[in-house]
Amino acid sequence: MTIKADAVTVKGEALTVNGTNIKLTEPLIKRLTHGQAWWSALSRQGPRSGGLVACLLVFCLCLLTALWSLMTGPMELQSNDLWRALGNVVQGQPVAGSADWVIRELRLPRVMLAMVVGAGLAVAGCVTQGVFRNPLADPGLIGVSSGAALAAVAVIVLSATWLEGWKGLTGPWALPLAAFCGGLIVTLVIYRLGTRDGQTQVALLLLAGIAINVLAGAATGILTYLADDQQLRDMTFWSMGSLANGRSAEITAATCLIAVPLFVSISRARVLNAMLMGEQVARHLGYSIQRDKRLLLACAALMVGAGVAISGMIGFIGLVVPHLLRLVIGPDHRLLLPLSALSGAWLLLIADTLARTLMAPADLPVGLVMAVIGGPVFLVLLIQQSRRWL
Amino acid sequence: MTLHANNLHVSVGDKALLTDVSLTVNPGDRIAVLGSNGAGKSTLLNCLTGERRLDQGAVWLNKRLINGHDPQASSKADNDPRARARCMAVMPQNVTLAFPLRVHEVVAMGRSPHQDEAMTRHWQRDAMRLMDVWHLRDREYPRLSGGEQQRTQMARVLVQIWECRETTGEGHYLLLDECFSAADPAHQHTIMDKVGEFATAGVGVVAVMHDMALAAAWADRVVLLKNGEVVASGPVELLTMTQVLQNVYDLPYLLAHHYARNNRHWLARNPGDLVGADEPSAVLFGS
Repeated sequence: MTIKADAVTVKGEALTVNGTNIKLTEPLIKRLTHGQAWWSALSRQGPRSGGLVACLLVFCLCLLTALWSLMTGPMELQSNDLWRALGNVVQGQPVAGSADWVIRELRLPRVMLAMVVGAGLAVAGCVTQGVFRNPLADPGLIGVSSGAALAAVAVIVLSATWLEGWKGLTGPWALPLAAFCGGLIVTLVIYRLGTRDGQTQVALLLLAGIAINVLAGAATGILTYLADDQQLRDMTFWSMGSLANGRSAEITAATCLIAVPLFVSISRARVLNAMLMGEQVARHLGYSIQRDKRLLLACAALMVGAGVAISGMIGFIGLVVPHLLRLVIGPDHRLLLPLSALSGAWLLLIADTLARTLMAPADLPVGLVMAVIGGPVFLVLLIQQSRRWL
Repeated sequence: MTLHANNLHVSVGDKALLTDVSLTVNPGDRIAVLGSNGAGKSTLLNCLTGERRLDQGAVWLNKRLINGHDPQASSKADNDPRARARCMAVMPQNVTLAFPLRVHEVVAMGRSPHQDEAMTRHWQRDAMRLMDVWHLRDREYPRLSGGEQQRTQMARVLVQIWECRETTGEGHYLLLDECFSAADPAHQHTIMDKVGEFATAGVGVVAVMHDMALAAAWADRVVLLKNGEVVASGPVELLTMTQVLQNVYDLPYLLAHHYARNNRHWLARNPGDLVGADEPSAVLFGS
C-alpha cells in the first residue's frame, strides 16, 4: 500500500497526513522507518561509488594543479609553449628552445617529484597511524624521518671514508636505500618501545620519538662538522626539505621505491581496517597480524626513506592529510589510502609551487611551507587528544 | 566436525594458568565456562582461538591443528588463519576503536574473512536487528554506551558465521568471552536466547560467563574451572549442586546453598537440548 502524502506533520506521538490524524503505533513506526532506511543508510555510507567520485575529483585537481605549476615560475610562458613541450616529452624529441628546456628540465621533474614524494609521505603517515592505532603516530613525529635523514647524511659525509663501498655499489639508489635502513631501524625501535601487549602507549611513543629526533639531530650535527665544503652544500637542504635537487636518475629511483610499497599498502587496506578494532580482533578475523604489521611498517619506512633521501625532511604531510580525510570520509582504509596518496600528492605540489613562486627567484624550502600549514593542525590534534587521553 | 582441545597446559613463569584441561565442542553444544576470577577462563578461550602459545597439548579445529605446544608444529599450526576465521567467530570482552567507525561499518567487518561485505548487506541488517542495534546503525561506535557497544560487536561476530543460518551450522564455532558484562538483564537473556538459536542450527557455542543464573538458564553443559584446573564438567545441572559451587567458588555453605536453589529456578527456564533430554541429568537435578 502506498499513501501519497502532500502535507505530513509529526507532533509528538501523532502523525498528520493530508489532514488526517494517524496514531503512530509500533508496527506502523517499524514500517515507516525500516523499509527504505536500510538502503539510504548505505548510500550515506557509499563506499564504492562515492569513493570513486572523490578519487576522480582529487585526481583531476592534481592534474590541473600540475598544469598550473608547470606554467608558473620566474620565466613567463605561453600556454602553447606548455602544450608543445608536453607533446615533445610524449614523442621523445630532443629539447628545442628555452621554454621547452625550462619545462622539461626544470619544472616537470620537480612537479613529478612533488607528487611522488607527497603521495608516499601521506600513505606512510596513514599506515603508521593505522598500525600504531593513533592519529599522532606520524613518521616525522616518531622519528622515522630523522632516522632516515641521519642515514642519508651519513652516506653523503662518510662515502669517502667509512662507507666507501656503499655509493659505488648502488649509484642513485644509494641514498634512498640507506635512508630506508635508517627509517626501518627507528621504526623497529619505536615499535618495541611504544607497544605493550598489542596496545600502543601514545605518550611513550611520542616521547621516544622526541628522544630519537634529538639523538638523530645531534648525530647529524656531528656529521656536518666532519663534512667538507661540497658535502655541506649537498646537505643544507636536508634540514628544511626541498624538491629542487632532484635529477632524473634519482627521481626514477625514488618513484620506484615509493610506488611499490604504496600499492602494497593499499592492497593491505583490509588488514588496517581490522586493526582499527585492535590486534586481537584482527587475529580473530583471520589476519596474520604480526606478518602484515611488519610488512606495512617496512612499506612505510621505505616510502619515508625514499622521500627523505631525495627531498630532505618534509614534515606534517603524513599527519595532516590522513587526519583531514578521516574527518570527511571516515576511517575505512580501502578508501582512505588511495585518497591519501592523491591528496598528499596534491598538497605537496601546491606547497612546492608556492615555495618556488612566493619569493621568486628565491626558492623557499618546501619543508617550511608545510610546517606553516601543518603546525596549527598538529596543535589542534594535540588538544583533541588531550581531551581524550588525559 | 569438532573443536577439540587436548591436555592443555599453559604457564607464565612458574605460575600455571591452565593444567591439563581438555574440552570437546560438538555441533550444537552450548557450553558455559565458569569459575572465579583468575581461574583461567579467558586463557582457555585464548588457547581455543590459537592466540596463546601452549606449553603442552593441542587444539584441533575440524581435524586441523590450530594450536600446538611443539614450536615446530605451531609454526605449521594455524597456517591458514582466514580459513579458521571463516568457521570460528570470537567475541572478546571489550573492543575499543582507534578511529570512530559507524555501527554498520563495524558489523560489516565481520564479513572481512569472506571478503563479501557488499554482497551480504541483508545479513548484516538481520544481525543488527537480531542484536537490537539496527536503530543505532549510523551512530559512531565510540559514542555508544558499553552495552550497546557489546551488542554491536555481537552482531559483527554473528555475521561472521551467518551462512550457518542458510544451511547448517555444523563445523562452525562461536566463542564468547564474558561478552554481556555491560548489557542489561533483558538484553542479556534475549541475546543468549538468540545465540542459542545458532546452537540449535548446529553451531558449537562456548561462553565464558560470570553470571551463574544466565548459565543455568542457557547452557546445556558447564565447565567449572578453579586455579587453572577443571573442577567439574558435565551437564548444566552441576550448577544446582551445593557442594560443587562451594568447591568452585570457595563459598560458605549457606551462600552456595542459596545460589544452588536460585540456579534450580533458572534451570526451569532452560530450553534444554532436545537430544540430551533423556540423559541422566534429571537424577542429578534431584540430588
